Amino acid sequence: MPGRIIRWIDQRFPLTSFVKHELTGYPTPRNLSFWWNFGFFAGFVLVLQVATGIFLAMHYKADVALSFDSIQHIMRDVNYGWLLRYMHATGASAFFFVIYIHMARTLYFGSYRSPRELLWWTGQGLLLLLMATAFMGYLLPWGQMSFWGATVITNLFRATPFIGDKVVIWLRGDYTVGDATLTRFFALHYLFPFLIIGAVMVHLVALHTVKSSNPSGIDLADKDNIPFHPYFTAKDFYGLGLFLIVYSVFVFFLPDSLIEPANNIPANPMQTPNHIVPEWYFLPFYAILRSVPNMVGGVVAMGLSVMVFAFMPYLDRSRIPGGAHFRPVYRVLFYVFVIDMAVLGYIGYIPPTTQSILIGQIATLIYFILFLLLPFLSKVEERWLMKRGLPPEVEALIESESREKSKLLQRRRQGDVA
Amino acid sequence: MKALMTLLGACCISTSALAFEAKLETVKVGSDVQTVERGMEAMMNACHSCHSMKYIKYRDLVSFGIDKQKVDGWRGDQPMDAAMLAQMSESDAIQAYGKASPDLSLIAKARDGGASYVYSYLIGYYVTPEGKPGNHIFPETRMPDILGMSGVTDAAQRAEIQGKARDIVSFLVWSSDPHEQERHTLGYYVLGYLFVLTFLLYLVKNQIWSRLK
Ligand code: HEC
Repeated sequence: MPGRIIRWIDQRFPLTSFVKHELTGYPTPRNLSFWWNFGFFAGFVLVLQVATGIFLAMHYKADVALSFDSIQHIMRDVNYGWLLRYMHATGASAFFFVIYIHMARTLYFGSYRSPRELLWWTGQGLLLLLMATAFMGYLLPWGQMSFWGATVITNLFRATPFIGDKVVIWLRGDYTVGDATLTRFFALHYLFPFLIIGAVMVHLVALHTVKSSNPSGIDLADKDNIPFHPYFTAKDFYGLGLFLIVYSVFVFFLPDSLIEPANNIPANPMQTPNHIVPEWYFLPFYAILRSVPNMVGGVVAMGLSVMVFAFMPYLDRSRIPGGAHFRPVYRVLFYVFVIDMAVLGYIGYIPPTTQSILIGQIATLIYFILFLLLPFLSKVEERWLMKRGLPPEVEALIESESREKSKLLQRRRQGDVA
Repeated sequence: MKALMTLLGACCISTSALAFEAKLETVKVGSDVQTVERGMEAMMNACHSCHSMKYIKYRDLVSFGIDKQKVDGWRGDQPMDAAMLAQMSESDAIQAYGKASPDLSLIAKARDGGASYVYSYLIGYYVTPEGKPGNHIFPETRMPDILGMSGVTDAAQRAEIQGKARDIVSFLVWSSDPHEQERHTLGYYVLGYLFVLTFLLYLVKNQIWSRLK
């Protein structure tokens, strides 16, 4: 009976061939490490955010007079409302945490390089969508930080040439952040996740066209690829268990560690908080914004610091495989970048002092210098590595993989294998 | 590189040290019904005249386990589902103190330092050398020294006031998140379940991967 149903469907819809092509037969490099789990985690958190978000929206009220109270209503009176709200708030942080590791993995192993540029760029688009969604979601509780964060960030659009003031009013729907802003942010906060789901589909189509990269950075021959299911489904679900343990520790035991105390005070347009901080995942970019004394310059620098990742396929001119794995110079750059991000994040968090501003400016300079030096350093490094010769195990791997491939090609030509 | 990092670290530490003006007294709050009930009583007597607890309904107190008769006494002829509003209206408070007295139902989460902040603030009153009232934590506060900390020097009396402040703060911590205990209990079950599940998934993964040569 099930067989007949499947056959009935298959005549009308490519179900079996889809599952075979994308799952049970989808070739995946067998040497993928646990760093390759984070894309799956991101997909999982996306589903979690949509699921909890829809239920929160059933109890939330987008109205400046009601929204703060409606959050407390959810926290206190709705059955397991506190769980929904903490899962959603923690989920936003988890989303960025997972995505940042996913990006760091791509940078470390050079997964952005040809032929994966489009895959990387759709990822860049997803990052922007995620940032926009998180930013708008943060306004909804209508606390002090919600209000002042949205005020500061929408105000940045004044830097738009000629029509800056108009753009700000257009974004807010009013001269100041108010009811019009809250309702439109709510509407868009509900819409954007579905755009994200669409963009994830595109991301996956691109991935399944070029296939996963792997820690060696070398395209592996067929013998070293294994079907995604059951091998990587098993590995992904085991990883998911570990991820959920960390996530649950935050949801159940430390949920307030990710919520600024000032956001438990209702928004008050008449009173600026002592010091306005964004959520942790925006801190490095916020530090870059504050490091440039001129507002337009700051906005440009911040925008560039987010968008610069898209240029990576061209900034990195080395053809040595394996990303940072086999490239000592690139590896140093990578670690300096990570440390620099941490310093920027810290500087973005503390109230500005002359000292911290100076450190922030140095860190900002380092941030951009790293990217600017990359085309030059990657070429120098490539020449040096070529002259010195790659490590023997890499040479051996490249050789054996290409031998394997040419053998297969030959057999294919003789009609042995399909 | 290492020297640079040390330098950066040193700068960071010195700037964060500057950010704290007064040191908070850490307080260990109680979450048992007795402590919360004592804090509730003290709060009704000492603070409720000025401060509301608008997110707490009288029914919440009873369902937490506080004596129904006491709750009935406090609510008078108000219904069980009424919020605990203050006896003094906001405009009266502004008239009297130049500033509205904030609602306290979320206060333990609404300040950096949380419970310790509120505790240190309540017992932070003293008399300045010029004989004026002062507060170590919130120097320009308009709230008078309700618990009378600045007036006593006797160690036993001070300890008594500190105990009362601790009870009040315990109540405020409960009211800022009434589901905290339920959350922790559920959290242990969830984590236990996840540990078992993850271990099983680990075995499954090993089993499946062992098929590969
Ligand atoms: C006579 C009226 C009055 C009474 C009684 C009173 N308060 Fe206040 N309280 C105020 C006023 C007015 C403020 C606003 C102070 C300010 O912002 O300067 C305030 C502010 C506070 C704050 C916030 C401080 C801050 O950081 O902004 C806390 C916490 C507080 N009170 C706790 C209590 C507690 C606990 C009690 C009972 C022991 C109490 N109050 C009794 C009038 C009162």
